[in-house]
Amino acid sequence: MIKARRKIGFHLLLKSRFWIIFLCGVLLFGVRWTKGAGYLDLYSILIKPILPGTAQREWIKEGENIDREIRLKLLEDDNNRLRRALSLQEFKSDERISAAVISRSSRNWWQQLEINKGALDGVLKGQTVVGPGGLIGLVDNTTPLTARVRLLTDPGHQVGAWIDRTKRHGILTGMGTNRPKLIFLNKNSFAKIGDAVTTSPASTLLPPNLTIGIVKFVDEKALPSPYAIVQLTASPEAIDWVQVLKNNG
Amino acid sequence: MAKSNRKLLKFCITFCFSAFIIISPSWLSLNGITPCWPVIFLLPFSLTNPPFISVSASILLGIFLDSFTISDVSYIPSLFLLSLVWSNYGLHNKKIELFLNIGLMAIFGTAFVGLSIWIQKIIIYDFLRNNWFHSWSVYVFMSEVIITGLVAPFFCSWLLLTYKKN
Repeated sequence: MIKARRKIGFHLLLKSRFWIIFLCGVLLFGVRWTKGAGYLDLYSILIKPILPGTAQREWIKEGENIDREIRLKLLEDDNNRLRRALSLQEFKSDERISAAVISRSSRNWWQQLEINKGALDGVLKGQTVVGPGGLIGLVDNTTPLTARVRLLTDPGHQVGAWIDRTKRHGILTGMGTNRPKLIFLNKNSFAKIGDAVTTSPASTLLPPNLTIGIVKFVDEKALPSPYAIVQLTASPEAIDWVQVLKNNG
Repeated sequence: MAKSNRKLLKFCITFCFSAFIIISPSWLSLNGITPCWPVIFLLPFSLTNPPFISVSASILLGIFLDSFTISDVSYIPSLFLLSLVWSNYGLHNKKIELFLNIGLMAIFGTAFVGLSIWIQKIIIYDFLRNNWFHSWSVYVFMSEVIITGLVAPFFCSWLLLTYKKN
């Protein structure tokens, strides 16, 4: 007996199974099309409550900071011990005197600052003065309540400095402008524009590794020795507060 | 009237002069350079006093100013010569209250003080001898002359009149 052919027609649309299959197909196609974006978003929303929050992140950061501080302290102690063994200047960050600038003459024939801390506060002649950005100058003389700071820019003011990258020493000489001259002691300076100039770790007068400035110009062919023009990182014209380092002088 | 003038004069010399030197007010400066105050205060005094008193005053003024500076360079030589010239000029020229006349004398005086400091620095510091015309020296010299030339006529002529009244 011949079975009658099943009728194919729009009546299929009325069956619920068809719609389920169709919707599943559309859904899978959508997942494929968006490369699983919906799934991933849903996953992130679902696991949000159990993710480490900001508080946990702060705990981790705090732990890292404590770890770094301990390591820094240990390294500083180690460094000071070695420097003491070599009879070099020590650098103790906790022995500083904060002082306000009460008078400023940073562009005149004499380039100096007057600060409101003097001999009574423990400020001595020759002590190092730093400000935001690095070394500013040295204490030239003191009164009981004030001290006069000779700036690095003052013509004739000379301090020892070096470029850490090349390990070359020089004498930083004030030229009256914000760009003192670093006269190298070696025939070849190997300095490049952008090199950082700091106080020498071998210095017996200044604390080691204090930032002074950045090399802006180098003349390798200059006679009798090459020189570099250094842009100071600390601008004495804009500084209202300074710190006097007590560990030298 | 004379008594009040004297009081004003004393106040001006003892208080304002030292205050201007120490504070170096930024509102009275040109590119960070303040007027040459010793010239402004010495000029009227020298014009109204005989050479010996003027020279003595200039030396004392120089000693006072040198105590506020940080190097071996001194104001005394230039102020000494200026006081000598000005007091001689003042003895022979009675009518010198003119505004521009005083301003011009202050300009020349400041230029002389600046040149004296410049030359002393070149003599003292070896490295400055390599290049005599440093941008910094020219900058300070020019700015100081200009700002003193602007300020001096007001201060000096007023001080000169007050000295003469006393």
